[in-house]
Amino acid sequence: MINKQRNIEAIEELTIIKGRSLWVDAIRRLFLNKAAVISLITLIIIATVSIFGPFFLQYDFSDTDWGSIYQPPSFKTGHYLGTDGNGRDLLVRILHGGRLSLSIGLIATFVSVFIGVIYGTIAGFFGGKLDIFMMRIVEILYAMPYLIFVIILMVVFGRNIYFLFIAIGAVEWLTMARIVRGQTISLKEKEFIETSKALGQSNSLIIIKHIIPNLAGPIIVYITLMVPSVIILESFLSFLGLGVQEPLTSWGVLISEGSREMETAWWLLIFPGSFMVITLASLNFIGDGLRDAIDPKEY
Amino acid sequence: MQSIQKNIKNKDLLLDVNNLNVYFDTTDGRIQAVKNANLFINKGECLGIVGESGSGKTQTFFSITGLLSSNGYCNGSAIFKGFDLISASENKKREFLGKSIGFIFQDPMTSLTPHMKIGEQLSEIATFHDNLSKSEALKRASDVLEIVKLPKSRNLVNSYPHELSGGMKQRIMIAISLMCSPELIIADEPTTALDVTTQSEILNIFNDLRNDMDISIVLISHNIGVIAETSDRVIVMKDGKIVENGLTYDVLTDPKDEYTKHLLSCIPPWLEGR
Amino acid sequence: MRINMIKFITKRLIIAIPTLLIIIAFGFIMMRIAPGGPFTNERALPPEIERNIQEAYNLNKPIYEQFFIYIKNLSVGDFGPSFKYKDFTVKELIISGLPVSATLGLSSIIISLFLGSILGIIAAIKKNTYFDYTIMGVSLVGICVPSFVMAPILSLFFGLYLGLLPTSGWNGGNVLNLILPIIALSLPQIAVISRMMRASTIEVLNSNFIRTAKSKGLKSSYIIRKHVIRASILPIIEYLAPASAGLMTGSIIVEQIFGLPGIGRYFVVGALQRDYTLVSGVMILYASLLIILILITDILRAYLDPRVKV
Repeated sequence: MINKQRNIEAIEELTIIKGRSLWVDAIRRLFLNKAAVISLITLIIIATVSIFGPFFLQYDFSDTDWGSIYQPPSFKTGHYLGTDGNGRDLLVRILHGGRLSLSIGLIATFVSVFIGVIYGTIAGFFGGKLDIFMMRIVEILYAMPYLIFVIILMVVFGRNIYFLFIAIGAVEWLTMARIVRGQTISLKEKEFIETSKALGQSNSLIIIKHIIPNLAGPIIVYITLMVPSVIILESFLSFLGLGVQEPLTSWGVLISEGSREMETAWWLLIFPGSFMVITLASLNFIGDGLRDAIDPKEY
Repeated sequence: MQSIQKNIKNKDLLLDVNNLNVYFDTTDGRIQAVKNANLFINKGECLGIVGESGSGKTQTFFSITGLLSSNGYCNGSAIFKGFDLISASENKKREFLGKSIGFIFQDPMTSLTPHMKIGEQLSEIATFHDNLSKSEALKRASDVLEIVKLPKSRNLVNSYPHELSGGMKQRIMIAISLMCSPELIIADEPTTALDVTTQSEILNIFNDLRNDMDISIVLISHNIGVIAETSDRVIVMKDGKIVENGLTYDVLTDPKDEYTKHLLSCIPPWLEGR
Repeated sequence: MRINMIKFITKRLIIAIPTLLIIIAFGFIMMRIAPGGPFTNERALPPEIERNIQEAYNLNKPIYEQFFIYIKNLSVGDFGPSFKYKDFTVKELIISGLPVSATLGLSSIIISLFLGSILGIIAAIKKNTYFDYTIMGVSLVGICVPSFVMAPILSLFFGLYLGLLPTSGWNGGNVLNLILPIIALSLPQIAVISRMMRASTIEVLNSNFIRTAKSKGLKSSYIIRKHVIRASILPIIEYLAPASAGLMTGSIIVEQIFGLPGIGRYFVVGALQRDYTLVSGVMILYASLLIILILITDILRAYLDPRVKV
């Protein structure tokens, strides 16, 4: 007598166990990677400082002080990184900018992961003509200058910050969809899926309970590589004046201001720029490290 | 034929390998793939190397021919026609490789360059080693394709690898090694990826090469049946060491080593008549 | 050319054309629903523009007919009048900006492809040596320093501090004025391409067929020339279209920073001033270019890889 329910549960156990040992191995390998570890620490520092730093600083990010405009960095005045053309403290503004840039990075990435995973699993799982059609669309959209589409969306719908999140996420889902589809296809061929089907599990249940949990690895890797891309996109927009609007600020806005004033006040460009570059580099190293940890190649 | 009656080096000694060790640097530390191997091959002989995966049989010959991957290195000596292949310079090694020594790899499906025509993959060897012109080299290529019994009608010279079957590709690999009249051919699991009928055709080609053209052959396989059909002498390897070494007939009928006995006991009864 | 090639191109066009139509429709719809745009009632336009728009867009006709007329006009290169520049059509604006952007774009793509590929191959062959680390280090900079950070810094350093190169202006296409913008534009692409090429070449170098080539006793330089390059360049061909898209995106920034009067600059100005017709027109131009590029990529790939079914 075959107890269908018990069999299904047994298969799920198997998948979970398989998953766990892979993770332990991968995390061990990740922590062996020096660059990745340093980057991880750096990133955590930047994020923490961005969130909590402003509470400890004496200046507020919109405090204008017409008596000390364009001050170079100095320890004495308390403006550790200098001031801008309105007398506002640069360090505080950079930290606030960090909050915004990082949160846009995360939120927009999750929007694109959400869309990408759904699109990719459907294309990969059902295969055939549907798959070919869906992927051809992705292929062509992939080669489009997404910035231009986002700009048009921003122009038409206004420069609302929340819309910015969605607009960015809506154009970044393509890579995720491709990867998810590839993974789904190779997972589809594995035995435990066939067994589930034989036991009569419905397609949507199979997708939700078996395929998606096993996608976790590649998804995490590509999140770390997508966040920098999103941050750059937001900064592009803000640089052009189409993204984050006053009174909010982001690294893109600060760099934009800085590049205009760089001849007389180099610190306005260099410091926000450095924060951005360091964050992007850290994310890249972490992403590379995760990719090597999950799928190591000897060479 | 006399020399094959005994397991000794004779005056027609072609390859003499002594104290060969092969190491690899991996993320788990340094591992030794081949431990103190000693073997030799005389002219016109077929030497079989048998062992499981990981026994070091392939790496032994990769190291001799300089085909080790970048994280591998070796020491010892491998004297071929008076030159020590292991300590020879890159240029010297390349003089032998492709000309006097041919190598046939295990997986014919991926061993040919996908974007080059077969004709060119054959003729470039003759152009390089024997300084032939392109047309002369192509002519020789067609001649060699006849030796490996590939049908002339198919205009193989202008085909691409993906248009051919596994068996045809493996014959082309053999043809590649024959282009410049080799004296030694090393064949690594040449029939493992092929079906049984093709397998026996390929083995027949090897036998013809040995008998008609006096080419020495090293045949590496994990399949004792293949070795029994082709080899004069056989070496058994386990965990990087040579555990048995002798005439095929002697080893098959009176094995000295435990592992060899175990291997032989795994042969299904209906093959034993050989 | 094989006869199959024509069938191949046709098949690809069949998918490309609907995509282009979708993008055009996207632009068309955006224009229609945009608040403050030419097609809503909240207009407060100077009468000349109002008149132009009424004429050009046949606003009394049903919407699907408007769409067909729009497409018909597009196919002869008529993008309609600019929404903000009273006396100019979008087509005229685009044509004036085209030489600048074309020079910038073409130079950058050629430099990116060649330099990126060569650096990538060298890094792969000399893997784990100082060559490799240097090249990968430079490429890391290209990836992590966005063009809008790199461009001002380059401008500051070479233009202001060292006084070697002009920091802005087109100057009739003077080569000196082009150097910094081209570097700023190409650097991110060189970075990506060199990494791709390195990874691809490493994979090819470790493949079975290169092992066979080595076993033939051939010289390394020959093997690289005839066996490796053509096999490792395939992913780069795939990347051609996204690379161009990246360059188009980047040119918007670079033209802005270096004050070059190209299409990208018009696009930004148009976006900031809500010149919908201009913005839509530029988008359609870019999209068409890219679709043509994708087609070229498909043909190139079929040519280079005999395994592709034509």
